[in-house]
Amino acid sequence: MEPWPPADDDRLTAELVEALWEDGGVPEEYVTAARAAFAWRTVGAELALAELTFDSACDKELVGLTRSSGSERTLAFRAGPVLMEIEVSTDGIVGQLSPSGGGRVSARTASGTYDEAPVDAVGLFSLGVPPPGPIQLCAQVGGYAVATDWVSLR
Amino acid sequence: MSAARGTAGRAVGHGTGRTEPAGPGVSVAGLVSAAARGDESAWVELVRRYTPLVYAVIRSYDLGGADAADVNQTVWLRLVEHLDQVREPQALAAWLAVTTRRECYRMSRLGRRVQPVDPSDASLDAYHGTRADTTPPDEDLLRAERRQALREGFAQLPQRCQQLLALLTADPPLTYRETADRLGVPVGSIGPTQARCLRRLRDCPALAPYRGLDRAAPTNGGEHHGAVAAGR
Repeated sequence: MEPWPPADDDRLTAELVEALWEDGGVPEEYVTAARAAFAWRTVGAELALAELTFDSACDKELVGLTRSSGSERTLAFRAGPVLMEIEVSTDGIVGQLSPSGGGRVSARTASGTYDEAPVDAVGLFSLGVPPPGPIQLCAQVGGYAVATDWVSLR
Repeated sequence: MSAARGTAGRAVGHGTGRTEPAGPGVSVAGLVSAAARGDESAWVELVRRYTPLVYAVIRSYDLGGADAADVNQTVWLRLVEHLDQVREPQALAAWLAVTTRRECYRMSRLGRRVQPVDPSDASLDAYHGTRADTTPPDEDLLRAERRQALREGFAQLPQRCQQLLALLTADPPLTYRETADRLGVPVGSIGPTQARCLRRLRDCPALAPYRGLDRAAPTNGGEHHGAVAAGR
């Protein structure tokens, strides 16, 4: 039952020492992974960020979202007019981009690209089974270039 | 840990009273905009300041080692791509807390990759921390949030106060005499200035959400305290 911040100067100083100079017991690999993330800075003037807007794993089902019966998980990303929907199953990823009209899509982990594929005339594409850990999809379609939010797919 | 402290201690002790370009005295806003411009040292400082908060949130969820590490990596990869969009860098701690929470929830919903754990495996401590048996995660989280608030409060102090407090908290801490020499002020002024700076720190806006919150307050799964950071 003690008020915070401590009224005592020595105790506040001791807490300041911890706050400024100690790492809170964070495992080194967490810090390493966090630092390394900076190398993946790709979004900018030419590449728009497609934000994760739906994930069937933790969001309520959207009305009208198309999904085939066998899919394990459905996700949607949006960057302005560009919409990407993907279904993830044990067979891999199938997805659809709009606007359609062909293009390319690639998938990567924090250690590099693991697959890439063409986008067909109606915007459909398929990619291999994603490795564990966060994945980012990058797509070029209809004059747009987008990169999705990173998200673990399995 | 001690190596980092030593480095930081030297960094503030270079005689001119200057702090490192991306040291603890730089505001969150300055670090975010520098990192968004591609300044990696600013990113490293952001990581140093905020990994304890992210880690504390992750630890308050019961995730396996690989899942917990994936959440950490996901959160930082997300932030990299969101740097340009952090409209109020002051709210970065809240953004990180909310994003980490959401990713932990996503991961727990996926409920996969249950790994057999060998209790004799030394790496277990690395994932669960050595205090795991004795300290409830809620308390860890509150402590991490308070430390976070202190770091932000420190960054909001006038440069003079930052220099003084950095010298007096460095490892090893400088004496009043050494501090006075370093800053070129009378030794008699150090004590009163330190007290005034600590008072300013206590009154800092960054600490306001935590003021008067005591650790014996009722908690429900960490959401109460987490909401403090998340709701700012």
